[in-house]
Amino acid sequence: MKPHFELQDALFIGFCATLLVVLKSMLRLKLGLSGHSMFLMTFFYLLCYGAVGRVGCITACGLLAGIVAMMLSVGKGGPLILLKFGLPAIAMDLALLMIAGVFKLRWQCVIVALVGCLAWASKGWVENMLAGMTQQIALTKFALNFVQGGVFAVGAALIVPTVLRRLQSHDLLRDHHKNYK
Amino acid sequence: MRVKPRRGFVAGKWHRLGGVVSETHACALALLLSILLSSAAFLLPSSVLWVLVTINAGLIAHGLLLKKKIAVLLRLAAVQFVTTMGLYSLFHGESQLLEGAIVVLRVLLAMLPGWWLSSTQRPERLGEVLSWGLPHQWAFVIAASLSLLPFMSRELQEIYQIQCMRGARITPKALRNPKNWPEFIYCVLFPLLIQLLKLSKQMAISAKLRHFGDAAKATHWPSTRDHK
Amino acid sequence: MNLIELKGIQFGYDTQQVAILDDLHLSVNHGECHCISGATGCGKSSLLHLIAGELSRPLDGEMIRHPALMVGLVMQDPNVQLLRQSVGAEIAFALENLGTPSAQMLEKVQQSLRRVGLYISIDTPVEMLSLGQKYRLMLAAQLVFEPNLLLLDEPWTQLDNHGVQELYFVLKNLLSDGVAIVMVEHKPQAFGKLVSHLWQLDRGKLLAGLYLPSVPHGHKLNIADTIEIGTAAEERVRIAPHRFQFARRDILFRCANTLTISGGEMVALVGDNGSGKSSLLKALAGIQADIGQLPLSVLGKRPKLGIYGANVCLLLQRPSRQLFEQTVLSEMQFSLRRFQLPLARAERMLTELGLTHLAAASPHKLSYGQQHIIALASLACLKPKVLLLDDPFAGLDSVHCEKVWQLLLQLRHQGSAILLTSHREVPLDDVDRVWHIEAGFLQDKSQSMVLVDAS
Repeated sequence: MKPHFELQDALFIGFCATLLVVLKSMLRLKLGLSGHSMFLMTFFYLLCYGAVGRVGCITACGLLAGIVAMMLSVGKGGPLILLKFGLPAIAMDLALLMIAGVFKLRWQCVIVALVGCLAWASKGWVENMLAGMTQQIALTKFALNFVQGGVFAVGAALIVPTVLRRLQSHDLLRDHHKNYK
Repeated sequence: MRVKPRRGFVAGKWHRLGGVVSETHACALALLLSILLSSAAFLLPSSVLWVLVTINAGLIAHGLLLKKKIAVLLRLAAVQFVTTMGLYSLFHGESQLLEGAIVVLRVLLAMLPGWWLSSTQRPERLGEVLSWGLPHQWAFVIAASLSLLPFMSRELQEIYQIQCMRGARITPKALRNPKNWPEFIYCVLFPLLIQLLKLSKQMAISAKLRHFGDAAKATHWPSTRDHK
Repeated sequence: MNLIELKGIQFGYDTQQVAILDDLHLSVNHGECHCISGATGCGKSSLLHLIAGELSRPLDGEMIRHPALMVGLVMQDPNVQLLRQSVGAEIAFALENLGTPSAQMLEKVQQSLRRVGLYISIDTPVEMLSLGQKYRLMLAAQLVFEPNLLLLDEPWTQLDNHGVQELYFVLKNLLSDGVAIVMVEHKPQAFGKLVSHLWQLDRGKLLAGLYLPSVPHGHKLNIADTIEIGTAAEERVRIAPHRFQFARRDILFRCANTLTISGGEMVALVGDNGSGKSSLLKALAGIQADIGQLPLSVLGKRPKLGIYGANVCLLLQRPSRQLFEQTVLSEMQFSLRRFQLPLARAERMLTELGLTHLAAASPHKLSYGQQHIIALASLACLKPKVLLLDDPFAGLDSVHCEKVWQLLLQLRHQGSAILLTSHREVPLDDVDRVWHIEAGFLQDKSQSMVLVDAS
């Protein structure tokens, strides 16, 4: 986490992270679908990036969300939750570093979301492999998770550009990036 | 929240200070222990897994003694168990079911220390330990976000209710249909985000007006609340 | 000693736009109290932020600051300035940032708490305080680093009369200690003799005197006003005797007599901040949690969220937060669409309010007052049977207040039952009846006065 975010931006990232955790604990979907957290994560991470407009803010948001979730004992609690929020965030930031400006905002969001989802599913896969699961089953689980999470993540990624454009059209974002038109 | 007691505190409060340091250190140790136990769940060979099971049983007992609920974790473990065992019987037949059970056990053992940590340690303490390594600005951001929690949830609730009364399709029943999710985002989340954008600006001004970031080394308010 | 002097300050938000401050002069000395009034949006708050040194935009002119100048600024809403959870930590925030040793903090914090007349524990959670207390807490959070110039942004609007009175004495003591005060306030009368210099900000210049908007007081209630046939005298809201209290808390107020509102009636509910007005409104709308079963009845039913459709509308405080659409028109049409009512009502409403020019504008770019009107208008065009309004005049200048009255009178004429709250006295001429929450009792004062007269 770089210290040179402006205080205002840092606070907004913090608020987004907190809201993400709050919503996650409130809207815990009782569907048994394991990917729904990717929806909220993708939504808030991409939103942070859109509002602050700097590579690194997704990582910041992810780690803050992990810390806040740990402090509020949301979900399973414990140090693993830091990884759960942090890994997809770091992956998304790395993806942004590579593809920033190459695609249109919408496609950029979708690709970044999928990368985040990939990191999220991989985390489960690594865990399962470490736990001694057979390759075949670990891969099946990985694929299942990736598809489930991917649907949610892409759903969120498709909404974010609209939300950003709305914020932009209301003059609520500061003028350092005007590429949402 | 992130108050770190420093030396140079009023002399008469030394023993209280000692108490705080050891409590915080205990929390740090608990955090370390839970990380160790969680990773051990993946790394230990199956033959010595019983040691870990015994330790974790102790943790469960500790947590239950403090009247913490474990139902969520159990439900999660049950889901894990059913899906993994299902896959195992599908792919490998009945011969490797035991192996599958061990995998589920390991995953459960990895999660248990986290549950124990969050049910035995106070959140403020955890936050304090976690912010040891954080730069001042981020520690402040975390503290500010947490103190904003009541405001945030009240605001979320009120905006939700107002929009419900305005006829938005966001009642719990309507939200079962994913088609209505965008409505929730535009009616409730979007106004809330606008609030948060404005609020972050105003809180930043408020903090800067009170000299945030002026001194090279900020001091800390000796939180008396923690001693109770 | 001259603390700060502004000479020919010129400043604008956009290069194309007219300057907000234009050739402005101001000089502030120790122990002076300057009060600046002006129309909404004329740049008063910007001026305060400029003096505080918090404006990053470039400006022309000269600003001479005394080397010892230390500025404290309390912005309008104390809620958005709170950064910590406990009173002590909140006040100590500035000390932390200035590197004051921890050992000295406790005394300084307690000292500034006493200076603002707050006698509460430093461990009190900030949420527990009333709005007036929060305002003084923010004041204490500034005083702790001993500023010699204190800037206040519209304290009167936020506080109830009780809060203003408490603030008055705090400011009086500060002035006698030699602290200079610059406040933006369109109600300087509330601070009476404290004000030594009275200014009005007009077209970017400071002129001596008070800004008085020329708004005709044209909303006189006509009791004989004929109400559309069929709706008159139908009882819409009934509040039977009860005790109003949250679960596991003290009683907020008691209601000893049955109170009712009929169609075509407008009732004001007056009480201090924190007396339970908003909670009662929410209970009537069926959205207040933790109050148990109260003998309330709206449109003959026990209130519950979602059972009234377009018949009951509620406007909460800071109505701007309910806006989310792209344009003003679609914002107003949102509920009409959801309740399948004719969309043309929205346009008609805008025409009646003389706001057609805003139809295509973004609701978020409007001024505070305009947002307020639009939020209210979007409820009004549903023509609800019951309209509940929480402090609909808070923070509005007289121009917009007049628009709100116009809307309310029109709805009353159409047969709506209206209940509005206010933290200030509402003249009996403006509404049909006034209810008070006073000393722990909710009662209809106008009624009891009539009874006294009769006996």
